[in-house]
Amino acid sequence: MNVDYLSMMVILPILASIFLLILTSRLDPAARAKFDAPVRMAAFIISLAMFAVATLMFLGQIGDAGWNDIAFNTFEFQESYVWIEQLGITWTVGVDGLSFPMVWLTTLLMPITIIATWNEKAGATYFPLMLMLGGALIGVFVALDMFMFYVFWELTLIPMFFMILKWGGKDRKYAAQKFFIYTFTASVIMLLGLLTMYFLMDTQTFSIQEMVVQASGANASGFWLGLEVQKILFIMLMLGFLVKLPAAPFHTWLPDAHVQAPTGGSMMLAGVMLKMGAYGMFRLPISLFPHALEEFQFIIMMIGLVSLVWGAIVCLGQTNLKKMVAYSSVSHMGVILLGIASMQPLGWAAALFMMFAHGIISPMLFAVCGAFKHHYHSMEIGAMRGMAKHSPWLATSMMFGWMASLGLPLLAGFVAELMLMVAYWYAYGWWIIFPGLVLAITAAYYLWSMQRTIFEGGEATQPPESLHGEPVPDIDNFEKIAMLLLAAFTILFGIMPWIFLDMMDMWTRSAMAFLGLGGA
Amino acid sequence: MSTGNEFDTDMIETLGPEFTVFVGLLLIMVVPNLGNGTFRIPGTSIRLPWFLGGTRFKAVASPRLPGLLAVLTMALALFQVIWYLLDATPADGQDIMAGGVFIFKVNMFSRIFEAIFFAALLLAAIASLDRLPIGSQKSDDIDVLFNNRRQADFYILMLTSALGMSVVALAQDMFVLFVGLELASFSTYILVAFHKESRAGSEGGAKYFIVGSVASAVGLYGLSMLYLWSGSLQFHELAAHWEAQGATSLSMMALGFVLVGFAFKISAAPFHFAAPDAYSGANSPVAGVLATASKAMGMLGLMRVLLIITVPEANADGSAIWIGLLGVLAAVTMTWGNIAALGSENPKRMLAYSSVAHAGYMLAALTAIGAWNWGLVDNAGVAMDVVVAALLFHMFVLVFFKLGAFLVLGVLEMEGGASRLSSLAGLGKREPLLAVAMFLFMISLAGVPPMAGFLSKLLVIMGIVEVATGTGSLSSIGDAHWVWWLALLMVVNSAISMFYYLRVGVVMYFHEPEEGRKGPLASGASIRIAIALCAIGTVAFGLVGGELIELCRDAAESLR
Repeated sequence: MNVDYLSMMVILPILASIFLLILTSRLDPAARAKFDAPVRMAAFIISLAMFAVATLMFLGQIGDAGWNDIAFNTFEFQESYVWIEQLGITWTVGVDGLSFPMVWLTTLLMPITIIATWNEKAGATYFPLMLMLGGALIGVFVALDMFMFYVFWELTLIPMFFMILKWGGKDRKYAAQKFFIYTFTASVIMLLGLLTMYFLMDTQTFSIQEMVVQASGANASGFWLGLEVQKILFIMLMLGFLVKLPAAPFHTWLPDAHVQAPTGGSMMLAGVMLKMGAYGMFRLPISLFPHALEEFQFIIMMIGLVSLVWGAIVCLGQTNLKKMVAYSSVSHMGVILLGIASMQPLGWAAALFMMFAHGIISPMLFAVCGAFKHHYHSMEIGAMRGMAKHSPWLATSMMFGWMASLGLPLLAGFVAELMLMVAYWYAYGWWIIFPGLVLAITAAYYLWSMQRTIFEGGEATQPPESLHGEPVPDIDNFEKIAMLLLAAFTILFGIMPWIFLDMMDMWTRSAMAFLGLGGA
Repeated sequence: MSTGNEFDTDMIETLGPEFTVFVGLLLIMVVPNLGNGTFRIPGTSIRLPWFLGGTRFKAVASPRLPGLLAVLTMALALFQVIWYLLDATPADGQDIMAGGVFIFKVNMFSRIFEAIFFAALLLAAIASLDRLPIGSQKSDDIDVLFNNRRQADFYILMLTSALGMSVVALAQDMFVLFVGLELASFSTYILVAFHKESRAGSEGGAKYFIVGSVASAVGLYGLSMLYLWSGSLQFHELAAHWEAQGATSLSMMALGFVLVGFAFKISAAPFHFAAPDAYSGANSPVAGVLATASKAMGMLGLMRVLLIITVPEANADGSAIWIGLLGVLAAVTMTWGNIAALGSENPKRMLAYSSVAHAGYMLAALTAIGAWNWGLVDNAGVAMDVVVAALLFHMFVLVFFKLGAFLVLGVLEMEGGASRLSSLAGLGKREPLLAVAMFLFMISLAGVPPMAGFLSKLLVIMGIVEVATGTGSLSSIGDAHWVWWLALLMVVNSAISMFYYLRVGVVMYFHEPEEGRKGPLASGASIRIAIALCAIGTVAFGLVGGELIELCRDAAESLR
């Protein structure tokens, strides 16, 4: 029997979340409190099942394809149904080497996020929202229809908006609205670009695959739609994705959203939602308008460089731990843009692997920040000293996460950074001084913050004042499990990056050859 | 195409929904007055039972009766209209003539407008069942007013406005259209001021009446000039005359005046000034009707005038003669509406301004039709089909989320008012389902998928872009027709509108409820049913709107 696993992974969590939300909203507050644990368990089991399905798909155990097929062929697990016939809109799903790692990453992060925030006492609506977010994110990655892509693209905003609004920090109201409006504005402009493109096509279709084929056919012998139009549409589409990524100067929503968001929200936001931007770039503007990409190559490189440098320098001045991590995300997302702008298969693969590695490492950083906040009620870097002494687990996790993020060899982040540096050297030569410098700054702010929180103080530890003299707790068992899992995967993909890197590499090579770019 | 003549049984069959409304109207007038009254034959002492007046029968004295009758009437009429729509093809059409003059035409286009009107009025009538159309909370007042005839008056006015609107939908003659428009307008003027105990109600009603009657007078003046110019107010003769003579200074002036009349109805800037006062003064279901049915009626008038009468005419560059004027009007209206809504602290005023913004979006779509002679779109029909279908879809689904938003405010009004944004505070905790429904309506108004509002906005933008891109071979975006920039302005405006729609969500979920407004709201089963229907419609038409799109396309085709 042919089961449509991808659609199930999109629809089931969303339906389950709506069901759970309606169920709990009918109850009075006292009865609702009793539902907290069962709802959490239900969300956990569903997310675990999704992870199992994604992993089995990868291993080729279920369905008619495995990682080999995903890497070598265009789209696997493809299913298509008519959605709105009158507009030619279909529900089409499928995965290739670009989207599958992201789908797997989403399913991996969902259970881990739920474990990490197991004891947050967030009430019965938090975990259903997490499920809805997960379903919508997978929907973005597997959609092969422009309309479906856009619907899920916007749908991810709603659960995240409520997560920030309901469980966020002090300025959550401002942050949630800023987050929503920034990304919404960018995406409506993207929508207008998509629609304009739709009507300029020879054969009008919403199917992303058919659009790409049509574009490449026309691009092979000239400029599809004409260079001028191609450039404008490229800008309109890229705008939507650059804001989501986020790249300077559109990044200002990110620190606010991250600092205010609850731990789980931050983990998903940094882990997967930012990657939607990079994924979208590869899937639409780059695949459709390679000529425009060549035109804007240098500008994209500059945007990436500015994000990288600016993010890193701002990190140096932060006293808020979470804000520092948020700006380090901006910095790392700049790396992805540099990878794209290098126009090398290696650089693109580096960008893809950066998406993946950052997707595992940054949730760990935010889990550390969340634990910090959860146990010490403070996020100030200087508020506590000598953590290594009284909270060894948290100190170790923090150190591990920080090291992974600054690119320690044998950890996942290093692979991506090394590949990028090589590709960048090929493409831009001595410009490499800037990203090289940034690596040094990155090391500086991470080490400095560690020094101030973990080590300084030696024997005489200084517990944070916000604890008011209570004994200093270490992280609880659930948080330990989440940290261990994230650390294990960071090491796994640091030592054996080929598990997904090969797939990404195949994708970039075939994509570049298909688009007629670079030296593939 | 069959041609009926004079009054006969055929005609009654054709005009079934309208007669249903008419009969319902008579019933509401008569039934609540039935009693044991007698009639004494003059000069004798013989008393004949007369059944009117006297002590009313218990069964008919119930204050709920008029409302139930009205709901039943509207539901029956809506059912007939939908029945017709599901059965009809675009080629169908029946003319109703009187003395060789075309009065009405029944086809899919007019029927779908009736479906919009009746659906809006039905939802408003259901919502009004449980609540008094007044804001007073004192129990002795309630008793007095409940037994009063105001219940009957309220629903009579609703049905007369339904009748007026359906006349507008069917009319084939400018004068008939105007009569229907006035019937509907006068009913709504009174409905707005029905809230006579409150100053806001009377003030809103008075303003609405004054501005509305001035606009009507200007429109009527335009009509008289049209008559002077062509010698007839029949649509087909006006169209033929326009084709033969083209624009003259007289006809252009007449057109301008007529446009003013309709622009007031759709509350396009700068004729929208009375709208916020009227919406905030009226009780919520009525305000919802103003923002949906009444606006659709104005849009219908605009379409009739601009498309049937003027599309044969084309400028030298291949666009309709009114395109520049309408484009400016659209741009100003949507921007003004959104910016004014940003600063509104009263949720009903905010919704009123958002309705102005939506009028701007619709005008932008109409403007695109004017660019029909552009490249690929080789005849006016194609452009009209695409854009008119989008507009029909937009107006149809607008009934659900716009009216729904007003109804949620209506539930709050039962508690004592919804004139400040803070009245909504804490709704997320007090009434989770109501808050979710309100949030759905808000993001649907803003155009976030997968709500119906997204699909409708998508269709409108698609219509504009399709006309603007024309042949599909542009060397730059500057080569597209300038209506493309209206589409850009529209998406930018959608982004601006996100601010105030989201603010409602934030207030509902973030702010603590006001003093003395804790716990669940007063129950009102019928208004909640109406809200639930609206919420279901908002989500359902967003997810599976295909059938309705098909219907709207057929209806648009039947306009040609």
